[in-house]
Amino acid sequence: MTAVPDTSPTPRQDGLVRAVWRRTGFAPALLIVLLALNIWLNPVRFAPANWGILIGLAAPLIGAALASTPAILGGRGGIDVSVGPIMGFVNAIVVKILITDLGLSSPFVVITAALGIGIAIGAVNGILAAYVRIQPIVATLGTYLILVGVTLTILPSPMGTVPDWLKTLNGPLSILPIAAIFLIWWGVRRLPYYDQLMATGSDDRAAYTAGVPVPFVRFLSYVITGLFAGIAGLMMTALIGSADANIAPSYTLIAISAVALGGVSLAGGRGGLIGAAIGAIDIFLIQSVLTLFNVSTFVLQIAYGAVLVIAISLMAFQDKIEARGRQR
Amino acid sequence: MAESQSELRVTDLALAPGKGAINAAIRPGEIVGLSGLDGHGQERFLETLAGLVPPAGGRIAIGGEAGGVTIEGFSQAVRQGVAYLPRDRRATGIFPPLSILDNFSIATIGRDVRGGLISNRSRRERYEVFHKRLGIVAPNANAPITSLSGGNQQKVLLARWLAHDPRFLLLNDPTRGVDIATRQTLYGVFHELARDGMALVVLSSEIEEIVALCHRVLVFREDELFETLSGDDLTSDRVIAAMFGRSQ
Amino acid sequence: MSLNFNSTGARVAGAIAIALLLHLAGTLLIEGYSSPFSIRAMLVLACLLAVACVGQTLTIIIGGIDLSIPFVIGFANVVAAQLYGDGMNFVVVCMIVAVLALGIGAVNGLISAGLNIHPLIVTLGIGTIVQGAVLVWTRGFPSGSAPEAVTKFVSIGGSVGPIPVPWLIPAFVVMSVLIIVALNRTPYGRQLFALGANPRAAKLALINPLRMWMITFALSALFAAIAGVLLLGFTGSAYGDVGQPYLFQTIAAVVIGGTALVGGRGSYLGTVAGAVVLTEINTLLIGLGLQPSLVQAALGLVIILLVSLYGRERHVSTTI
Repeated sequence: MTAVPDTSPTPRQDGLVRAVWRRTGFAPALLIVLLALNIWLNPVRFAPANWGILIGLAAPLIGAALASTPAILGGRGGIDVSVGPIMGFVNAIVVKILITDLGLSSPFVVITAALGIGIAIGAVNGILAAYVRIQPIVATLGTYLILVGVTLTILPSPMGTVPDWLKTLNGPLSILPIAAIFLIWWGVRRLPYYDQLMATGSDDRAAYTAGVPVPFVRFLSYVITGLFAGIAGLMMTALIGSADANIAPSYTLIAISAVALGGVSLAGGRGGLIGAAIGAIDIFLIQSVLTLFNVSTFVLQIAYGAVLVIAISLMAFQDKIEARGRQR
Repeated sequence: MAESQSELRVTDLALAPGKGAINAAIRPGEIVGLSGLDGHGQERFLETLAGLVPPAGGRIAIGGEAGGVTIEGFSQAVRQGVAYLPRDRRATGIFPPLSILDNFSIATIGRDVRGGLISNRSRRERYEVFHKRLGIVAPNANAPITSLSGGNQQKVLLARWLAHDPRFLLLNDPTRGVDIATRQTLYGVFHELARDGMALVVLSSEIEEIVALCHRVLVFREDELFETLSGDDLTSDRVIAAMFGRSQ
Repeated sequence: MSLNFNSTGARVAGAIAIALLLHLAGTLLIEGYSSPFSIRAMLVLACLLAVACVGQTLTIIIGGIDLSIPFVIGFANVVAAQLYGDGMNFVVVCMIVAVLALGIGAVNGLISAGLNIHPLIVTLGIGTIVQGAVLVWTRGFPSGSAPEAVTKFVSIGGSVGPIPVPWLIPAFVVMSVLIIVALNRTPYGRQLFALGANPRAAKLALINPLRMWMITFALSALFAAIAGVLLLGFTGSAYGDVGQPYLFQTIAAVVIGGTALVGGRGSYLGTVAGAVVLTEINTLLIGLGLQPSLVQAALGLVIILLVSLYGRERHVSTTI
């Protein structure tokens, strides 16, 4: 009953499994089932030797999901729908302008540019959402349209190639960018900022009263989201090996689904990057299984939607049961 | 009221698992107070009466001597003539962007419908009755509810439920954040309602208020009914003593 | 009306003023911008968008959002064409499409409210399923066309007696008035605003959230389906992705029209003004010779500018 003031759950001494389960919900169980199913159905593709390529295939989606998470954690409708277009914009700038037009293909230049673009766009989103106080979905929808439009103008048709070092991020070293994101996040979690973000996400009024600089905390969450989206843009560039303006925007909505599937509350203040990554891997594995059955992409789409709705419904059931258990 | 025979009866109610059974009856014309230190079960008791919280044991029923209708949920309780005024006006009472008229009529909106549409005239006529009776100070019934003072917002919320013609009025700290003048008006209204045969249950954190207003006070301690005070025993000292677990 | 006294009224007026200014700018900058044909074309486009926006307005007022609108538009578009092409009576076709759409929407509302899941995810998931189902059914190649009557109804060149606008325009005006009256003067409308404004208080005021969410999302899908059938008449042939531009445009129109995404505030009149604003911007930018991709970019910029002018949220310190 909503009329009853929420009694905050008493911290319990649970095992690690329970803790992960509570934090990420249903997604890890689904992950194990899907992974087993995939390995059983297609042992060659899922052999350890191929893991680099596999991770490279899944990387852009994982990256997009990780990138979407910080803005959502900030609460009060916090969301960044421009994550996909940021990836596409990074892809276009890196391949078309840096590598093709200017001939700059050293890792230092490319990576700096990708991170810088991500941070800059994230900062714009952050200013619009946190200081100008435009509803986040509208503000980032604005940047979404701007980025897609500009990207298409720079890049009317697919073109270009990528240097060898970037290709390795699609093969043996594909885990690196994901590891980089987790390393950055690991650092963030050690800062007081992380607690402030989670406090803002669960109850911004209480956080503000307690002295948390709520607008700045939200602003930074978009900057982090932008930074991660820049890295995700590199992963996508490594995977497609060229510049293509039409691929990236579709990552936005799948990434948000992955985040929700991974137990991150869209209301803010609950969940984390591990959950988001597991959610994204789940979606990748679902697509992988369905592709194996050689069903048409149409059926794949139905199944994908159905699994998403069912999985999230099951998670909600679990929440309801836990809430009831606490009340007793 | 036609059905003044019925009473709100609490039988072997447990507020939490393993807690002692509570037995009580609230009769027409009575004002019953609920008191206790914060979080000692009096609020849960009130919410249980309203059907908002399922009891951990026992039952709450409305009716005569035998049987009666068991309360199994909020909307069913309302159908049986129970009205509940929540504590936190802002979080669970008002609809901030909506007008005073909207806030007043929302729970009884079906009564204003003429040919599928809400008749503003009917709505305004119904509101005027309470506007006068409760002395609501409002410039304009179409103004947003947030333009009113806390006390007047509370009067509009009270009017929302009085419009329902309840037999049992459950009030969760009705004078919290309300100015003195409005309090006096509310006390007068409560007494009047009781005289007309309504049963009132008032939870209040102010002991003076509860002693002055109520015929009988139930003092809760550790999720159990510790003592029932009435008549000459109903004094501030006795209530405070009972709150701390001392019985005289 | 009870809404005249708060800022929603001002926001609606702002949106209307901006639409007029844009039109003035277009007339000054582009030859033929105010020609009868151009105005008729804009009216028809704005009407189609505004029909698709009905559901977005309702679901945002209740405190949700509906991302399944473009998928339901595509669904209605393709299914109506296919069934009519198979020789079925068009009235029966419309009934079937309407019932299916209501069902889709009700499921959206049921899952979102019943399990307390963010409607963004639910409507996206259900929308994906609907789109997949349509693709499977048509094997990706929808066929069929609209009956003559529907094409005429929305044709830019159509006329109502001596007035040179298609029947869509007067029908739309009537529909808008009905929606505005329903929002202001029916129990459903008032309960919708109340539930969006304060869901916790709504339960205590005898509003059944599950029922309200199911009705609201069902209505949203119904109006999306109507938009899908009208688009079938407009474009002449079935196309499953015909609704895609409406995904973000409906949200943008609603927000430009002064409806807050937090729920409980807003109006359909504002949404109509928002739809006109979007149509004016689009026409103006294309008229100025911008590439479609740059039109899109400029649209994003304009949305941000407009909303930062009058669609700002309150600072957290003022909400305590």
